[in-house]
Amino acid sequence: MNPFVLALIASTALVSSVYAADPIKIGLSGPFTGGSSSMGVSMRDGVKLATEEINKAGGVLGRPLQLIERDDEAKNEVGVQVAQELINKEQVVATLGFINTGVAQAAQRFYQEAEIPVINNVATGSVITKQFVGGDYKANYVFRTAANDTIQSAMIAEEAIKRQGFKKPAILNDSTNYGMLGRADLTAALEKLGVKTVAEEKFNIGDTDMTAQVLKAKEAGADVILTYAIGPELAQIANAMGKLGWKVPMIGSWTLSMASFIDTAGANGDGAMMPQTFIEVPSTPKRKAFIEAYHKAYGGDRMPSPVSAAQGYDSVYLLAAAIKQAGSTDGRKIREALENLNEKVEGVVTIYDHPYTAADHEAYTSNIPVFGLVKGGRVIPAHPEDVAGDKALRIKTKS
Amino acid sequence: MDILAQLIVSGISVGMIYGIIAFGYQLTFATSKTLNFGQGEALAVGALVGLSVINFLIGQSLGSFTAYLIMLPVVFAFGLVQGTVVEFLGVRQAIRTKSEAGWIMATIALGIIFRNLAENIWGRDALRFPSPLPEAALVIGPVRIQPMEIAIVIGAILLMVAVELFNRTSIYGKAVVATSNDRDAAGLMGINTRIVITFSYALSSLSAAFAGVLVAPVTLTGATMGAVLGLKAFAVAIIGGLSSGVGVVVGGLILGITETLTGYYISTGYKDVPGLVLLLLVLSIKPSGLFGKAAIKKV
Repeated sequence: MNPFVLALIASTALVSSVYAADPIKIGLSGPFTGGSSSMGVSMRDGVKLATEEINKAGGVLGRPLQLIERDDEAKNEVGVQVAQELINKEQVVATLGFINTGVAQAAQRFYQEAEIPVINNVATGSVITKQFVGGDYKANYVFRTAANDTIQSAMIAEEAIKRQGFKKPAILNDSTNYGMLGRADLTAALEKLGVKTVAEEKFNIGDTDMTAQVLKAKEAGADVILTYAIGPELAQIANAMGKLGWKVPMIGSWTLSMASFIDTAGANGDGAMMPQTFIEVPSTPKRKAFIEAYHKAYGGDRMPSPVSAAQGYDSVYLLAAAIKQAGSTDGRKIREALENLNEKVEGVVTIYDHPYTAADHEAYTSNIPVFGLVKGGRVIPAHPEDVAGDKALRIKTKS
Repeated sequence: MDILAQLIVSGISVGMIYGIIAFGYQLTFATSKTLNFGQGEALAVGALVGLSVINFLIGQSLGSFTAYLIMLPVVFAFGLVQGTVVEFLGVRQAIRTKSEAGWIMATIALGIIFRNLAENIWGRDALRFPSPLPEAALVIGPVRIQPMEIAIVIGAILLMVAVELFNRTSIYGKAVVATSNDRDAAGLMGINTRIVITFSYALSSLSAAFAGVLVAPVTLTGATMGAVLGLKAFAVAIIGGLSSGVGVVVGGLILGITETLTGYYISTGYKDVPGLVLLLLVLSIKPSGLFGKAAIKKV
């Protein structure tokens, strides 16, 4: 054979071996527009940052990771379309994302059926990881790197009643699934501490006047306001309190750290407290590197939603470790690897040491989040002693 | 008693917003017996245009109050143009062909187009609108009120009074009144009713855009901000009567005040119910609205 032809054959072989390293497709579903987009965009940026780092270090199984981003617009029906597209058309290996509990509930059914793992890195509804447990389901494909509402509501009750000694809490929540389920969790947590609410008021998304709700809480003699809602309406509450000249502390779910709350409420929002798995403070070398890399890549000096960015970032590393351990991109094998992850993954939020088991798909326990406090347009640790020294890094408790 | 006063004051400021949007419905209904169902979107787009203008002016190191005042004529002009476009594309053809429902579909469609345009230009996030007045509340007797809430009430009244004065005193206004009373007769008297109708649409969008920049500083600005407001204003227009300018103001106040009172004295979960019950009552007892003139249709 003539050497030229040989060389040609050799070079085609080379080329095809390069092509053999197809990227590993990972789906990314979240609201990148609309009222919860500050969380969605931060999550996406965290995920992208981790993916770039992994690809720079040679990828996983010798293959680069490729993100397929889709905007679910925080709408259940769009989330379902996105899920079907990612599964059937893009044939993703796993999906990360979901900011909204409703979207997660509607969409993850398709991943469960297709046996493709999903890591919820922001949505907090308690039911999310329990949707496919027991019954006819042999295995559960839904995982989470976020502090669920059971954890958060217990923390809120504990902080308000035990730590700060308030006796007459009022709950204000929106009338969405998020707000109503959160209120149920909160009242249950308060009852455990033997405290009854003095007022429970709700409002709709888009309500412009909260005078009636706030006045009711005030007249009922509330000494603290507990909230379960999202940014814009939370800001309306803070502003109504400011208008009525009535200042009691606001303690609520982690959404009080949303940029839309902090920016719209301005001075009225100062002092609001919420559970946070990550606060933008460089308390460990890993966190310092993450914060610097984030701002280098996306600019600004404040993440729109630091919690979402950090949890998104960590979810990629967990998935990458699982794919590596599985040695394959088969959904079933990745799920098994996630449930018994041998590698210790050092993330931004915590160090993940066997974060999941077959029965437990929650990466965080109640000792991981700490309280954040809104001050001068930023979220800072509410109790510096909680994050001092070796308490900065909190690791999941083993049951 | 103090609480009642506070609730009523808050209800009035919410109600005036409903009233001014409903006033826009009333303007076009009077002249052409048609409505712009995209009124909520006209409000949102007007507010967003206002936001861009005021941010630009503040960027030129103007104070937010001066910037707000300079922004107003720009928003008014935009409202006039936007209303003309709606009338030209959506309503004119339907009126010419005496179509019963064509204008309904057309104005809804135009509303959706304007909302999508706004989403593409300004994004889907709710944006903060710089407040022209201090945000600290004023204390008047037992009542605490934000300066902007007072501005809403005054602004709404000023606009409606200006339109009424125009109608009553100027020759052009008389043409509007004549067209409202009897379009065919006005046409025979040499009034160009087509221009009058176009003008009423322009004015209607102007009042929506004005409502938008009035309400934006106390809420947030975004492409979807008008959806709920537009719908509630429609209820107001029906309660008060679509043919009466005073009716929509009173209707707005009734709805605004019942909402806050129900929210406090009954339950915040049922805040919207009494207003809608009232709507059903009015429709079954006096379909032309509390202040409306019953139309006699001769066959």
